[in-house]
Amino acid sequence: MGKTQLRINGVEHAIEADKNTVLLDVLRDELRLTGAKQSCDQKGQCGACTVLVNGKAVRSCLSRVARLNGADIITVEGLGTPDNPHLIQEAFVLAGAVQCGFCTPGMIMAAKALLDENPNPDKDEIKNALRHNLCRCTGYKKIIEAVQLAGRFLRGETTPDAVRPTAAQGMIGVSHPRPSAMAKACGTAKFTADYEVEGALELAVLRSWMPHARIAAVDTAEAEKMPGVAGILTAADVKGTNILKYLVADRPVLCRDEVRYIGDPILAVAAESRQQAAAALEKVHVVLEPLPTLDDPHAAMAPDAPQLHSEFTNLCYNQPQIKGDAQAALQTAAAVVEARFQTQINHQAPLEPEATVALWEKDEAGDEDQLVIFGRSINIHYHLGMLQGALGWENMRYVEAFSGGQFGIKIDVISEGIAGAAAIHFKRPVRYIPGLAESMLMTSKRHAFDMQVKLAADRQGNLTAFFNDMVVDNGAYYSIGHVVVYRALQMLSGSYNIPNVNARGRLVYTNNPWGSAARGAGPPQANFALECAMDMLAEKLGMDPFEFRMRNILKPGQTKSTGQVVAEWPLPELMEAIRPHYDRAVKEAAAASTAKIKRGVGIGTGSFGIGGPNDASVAAVELDDDGGISIFAAAADPGEGNDSMLTQLTAEFMQIPLEKVRLNTRDTINTAASGPAAGSRITYMIGGALINALEQLKAAMQSTGAESGPAIEAAGQPRRFVGRKKTETGPLDPETGQGPSFESQVHAVQLVELEVDTETGQVRVLKMTTAVDAGPVIHPQNLTGQLEGGMDMGVGFALREEYIAGETRDWKTFKFPTLAHHFDMEVIIRETPRPNGPLKVTGVGEMCMVPTAPAVINAINNAVGVWVCDLPATPEKIKAALAG
Amino acid sequence: MEATRPPARQSRIIDGREVAFDEEGFFDDFEQWSMKCCEILARESGILHLEERHRRVIHFLRQFYEYNARAPLNKELRQGTGLSLLEMERLFPQGIKNGARRLAGLPNPKTCN
Repeated sequence: MGKTQLRINGVEHAIEADKNTVLLDVLRDELRLTGAKQSCDQKGQCGACTVLVNGKAVRSCLSRVARLNGADIITVEGLGTPDNPHLIQEAFVLAGAVQCGFCTPGMIMAAKALLDENPNPDKDEIKNALRHNLCRCTGYKKIIEAVQLAGRFLRGETTPDAVRPTAAQGMIGVSHPRPSAMAKACGTAKFTADYEVEGALELAVLRSWMPHARIAAVDTAEAEKMPGVAGILTAADVKGTNILKYLVADRPVLCRDEVRYIGDPILAVAAESRQQAAAALEKVHVVLEPLPTLDDPHAAMAPDAPQLHSEFTNLCYNQPQIKGDAQAALQTAAAVVEARFQTQINHQAPLEPEATVALWEKDEAGDEDQLVIFGRSINIHYHLGMLQGALGWENMRYVEAFSGGQFGIKIDVISEGIAGAAAIHFKRPVRYIPGLAESMLMTSKRHAFDMQVKLAADRQGNLTAFFNDMVVDNGAYYSIGHVVVYRALQMLSGSYNIPNVNARGRLVYTNNPWGSAARGAGPPQANFALECAMDMLAEKLGMDPFEFRMRNILKPGQTKSTGQVVAEWPLPELMEAIRPHYDRAVKEAAAASTAKIKRGVGIGTGSFGIGGPNDASVAAVELDDDGGISIFAAAADPGEGNDSMLTQLTAEFMQIPLEKVRLNTRDTINTAASGPAAGSRITYMIGGALINALEQLKAAMQSTGAESGPAIEAAGQPRRFVGRKKTETGPLDPETGQGPSFESQVHAVQLVELEVDTETGQVRVLKMTTAVDAGPVIHPQNLTGQLEGGMDMGVGFALREEYIAGETRDWKTFKFPTLAHHFDMEVIIRETPRPNGPLKVTGVGEMCMVPTAPAVINAINNAVGVWVCDLPATPEKIKAALAG
Repeated sequence: MEATRPPARQSRIIDGREVAFDEEGFFDDFEQWSMKCCEILARESGILHLEERHRRVIHFLRQFYEYNARAPLNKELRQGTGLSLLEMERLFPQGIKNGARRLAGLPNPKTCN
């Protein structure tokens, strides 16, 4: 091991490194420069670790320190600080290019290298320079725009002050910089793996390599003798129930005697370093005896199928939905289409791998020490309760670190259980920072749906009946289970008036990866079937798919598949807004198609419910000494911009400056239990509770004339108020699926223009246009950012992405969308007020990929006349369809 | 094959009012609670008489939730009531969470359901 001389951010360092040590490890582990992130298991696939080496953008995970002697290295920390940011960092913030922020430092450093050489790059040059950098949140559009804006700053054409919105522009409908954006752009925002804890043990976890097996033998003797090993953690060492109960008590922290999917955790090795833990794990000997594997939900429902969980049948949920008389309507229909639609098991693919840090804090009152969990939760209070029960330790709090995207994956507890159990067992702080491959193994996935569909219409083209028999692969554990089926049924008729519905949703345990929340959670799958069937039926009726949709859009006073009467449905206006784009696209497609390359146009609509039955939220506010407002609400923000929402709603409602709104959202100790950042509910539900609290505060201020905390207390009123927001209660009827649905809807129409290569089956998306109505817009960049990221994710879901247990192990095998896949995007916004929303707004985060996959598949059919109804529509499937 | 259904939400008429409970039998709505309701639920759970110490715990829990919009940790409960955890566990045989918190009408943290 020799010494390598490096100049890092202007400071000389003599680094001791062997020939395999990479720069990223030196930066993060030795120098604690955590701006450079690690996502891809040091395979150079994500670019999150990009730094400048002698002025060139370099992926530091691939860069051997021993070869860098004398190098001049700049990390994102060396570029600027939140108090004195670089113009590129300013540009990323002001362009709205920072969502979760995990990719941001790498993006900024790649942009710096480009702009140093070429201060006026065109779009293709930007795409080429940033081609190694991945982003899951933005769809890359705002990143490209940020680099262009940075170029304008650097060329002196404009300044950040000239671009930055002012208070005079108002608080609603203005893209004020997100409160958290600059810290992310400067690499000072701490993600979970960035927390270093003195004396912390590191964990390595043995996970099942079989989908179903009995744990026949475990021998850890050799591993325990390995250097640095503190011990081995097994199920027997977990003090509590060892069960992470979300809705159903079925998922162990560590498996005791049986494993049920590839990735199920068996034991953990705790050691002084990651390397020592990993080395010791190699010495653990576990014998798994295979058990019959249920890899197909239909087979798992067979009478003779082995039962996966002793307390529950494999068919773990069955909900019919009956509206009208679909059978009778089918018999008199003028046209009927019938098809089978299948969607894949998919990874939500946040760029940040799973991670937990568990540490101890002394209890001042002399109670047992407090276990503090730092992690990626989007529902810290609920997860705290789960962990308290599973681990048998009550004095605990959960702190949400900055989170590198989540898209539903963190609705449930994942790595926190093992980390917390180890901290309790070894009475030491613990870091459990798994790599990407292990993270993919352990996390939940999007449920695969298998749907048999019939859709019928009369001679005039009015929809008359809809059948959808959905079999949903729940995988090995329940998690949110039936909620996904339930939501699919609550939104089953999508945007349309369908008088007769006969549907059923069945959820089935298998030995596949456990399903849970994934952006949209049910409706993207069900809407894929409905929207493709709409095109099939339009074709059969000889109608234009656009006009067919216009004819069938639900009108106020009509009912959804749940029987719920809708009071507002501002979708026709969106269709009219997108109509000129559709007409143009159809014309251009006809002109641009060649014998080999066929161009197609497809549309899909989405009407996504927000504020479902039985939802409730709380938020607390306090009038501060200086007249500012502190908010106490566990409103997780894994990248959507909830910090903007809370801040701008409050500033608008109370007519105070943004700087006087203070957020407390991350720690169970000082937040209201506001509920999950899921179901696109944060703005509608937590924003609603916030406005309710502010109404109370404002009334008290007005009645007393007080403008500060001390003044209002002196006037005999409290300075703190708790606000609530509740929706209608009651479940769908278990026999008919009729009942309450959602208080509010966000609507969208998406238009896809694409090309299909008839020889290779390759699809190239050229442009997507989304027309959306989510009510008055609080922060335009945050809204369009969600839509652009959602379009990108939806196209990936439609064309490429799939999680195959045992095969999908990194971003390459997952087929993560890159800048090479980037397509033009346009967003058209309408702002119909929603009477029950906070300041008349509603949410948007999930809807943005609900219409995408069917719009893509409809466009492929439009281009080449074949249906690929089994996602993802890979080139092989398209070629096979074309062949026959 | 018959499906196993997860526990369902339910509502009951208690003391002449409809009260909604979640899947674990916790109040759905903090504001639907009344002392009369609490006494009825307590009797059902085997606590025939709510003595002063029961009421002290219940009142503290409600005050804490009203202010913080979350349930207290046990140490906060202990400090707030002056009772030891052992005493409280004796008072509420179903435990602090499933006994005291449930009777005090504190809702579970919200999740997807």
